[in-house]
Amino acid sequence: MPFAQVIWFVKLLILVFVGGLAAIIAHRLLTGQINTTGLFYGTKKDGTKYFSPERVQLMVFTLGTAMFYLSSVTQNRTSGVLPDVPTETLVLLGGSHAIYLGGKAYMMLFKKNGKGD
Amino acid sequence: MLLLMQAAQTAPQWTERWVSSLSAWVALGFLGLVGVAILYYVFTGKIDLSGLISEPTGDASMSRFQLLVFTFVIAASLFLIIASATPPAFPPNIPNGILVLLGISSSSYLVSKGIQQSSPEGLSGRGPQVTIKTNSNQTTFGGAPVQCQADVVGLNDKTVTWAIDPIGFGAIDNAGKYTPPPNGQPTTVTVTATSNEDVSVSDKETIKVS
Repeated sequence: MPFAQVIWFVKLLILVFVGGLAAIIAHRLLTGQINTTGLFYGTKKDGTKYFSPERVQLMVFTLGTAMFYLSSVTQNRTSGVLPDVPTETLVLLGGSHAIYLGGKAYMMLFKKNGKGD
Repeated sequence: MLLLMQAAQTAPQWTERWVSSLSAWVALGFLGLVGVAILYYVFTGKIDLSGLISEPTGDASMSRFQLLVFTFVIAASLFLIIASATPPAFPPNIPNGILVLLGISSSSYLVSKGIQQSSPEGLSGRGPQVTIKTNSNQTTFGGAPVQCQADVVGLNDKTVTWAIDPIGFGAIDNAGKYTPPPNGQPTTVTVTATSNEDVSVSDKETIKVS
């Protein structure tokens, strides 16, 4: 059955490419070969850097949502249907992004370092 | 006779089947080679991923990071769903929740870039910088002092240390005010402002004394 082999090869191709790329990117992020300097730092209007809690919370919500969705996909992978993302998750993620963008806009456009901010 | 007729009918079906199969293998072989080449180039560094989530300033960007994560997760999920079904098949529809998720992620990235474009600091592709400004680039022996000002960008400590070359040809105080000597040969003095936080960050300006 030639097409059974084609299907097997397609699965292998997807696994090797997506898995390989994900593994390389994850490894380089963790070892610093992909630059992560200043990931949790923002820039004020006068150019100074500051530790940014809004970036930390966005990282937490991003990774949490991503892992939650991936676990949902792996549990329903044979269904042939992409699982939906719950509305509550979308609201939380939207709120997290709003905090991040609001904080970034305030600090970059209005906030200066020192007195007279 | 009957057997010959049956054979004549089944032959085109087999030919069609083998042609389809061969086409599939050729297409897959090509895609496989492209995929392996991309992975090879990424692995060997010929495709440089070091700045994958970096800004022009050199700092990593959270908006780029979250876009990378969600794009990868949704793409990997789609591949997984397609490959796990028997036979492999594209999902009948893409749920609205996924479209909203990707919309939030992408629009957040775009708004973040918009905020950066609105700020000169966000646009600069430079690191910490000291820039000297003067009210004049020339003076006379025993003449008016020249006031220098150092603008420090990208560092928390905005103070600088002032120096002149040649040393002793006039004087410069901590506020950047250069006082020329009362007499001497016409000389071009180089004023240097060096950041106190990072001594590798400095700027030079010349003042002609005649």
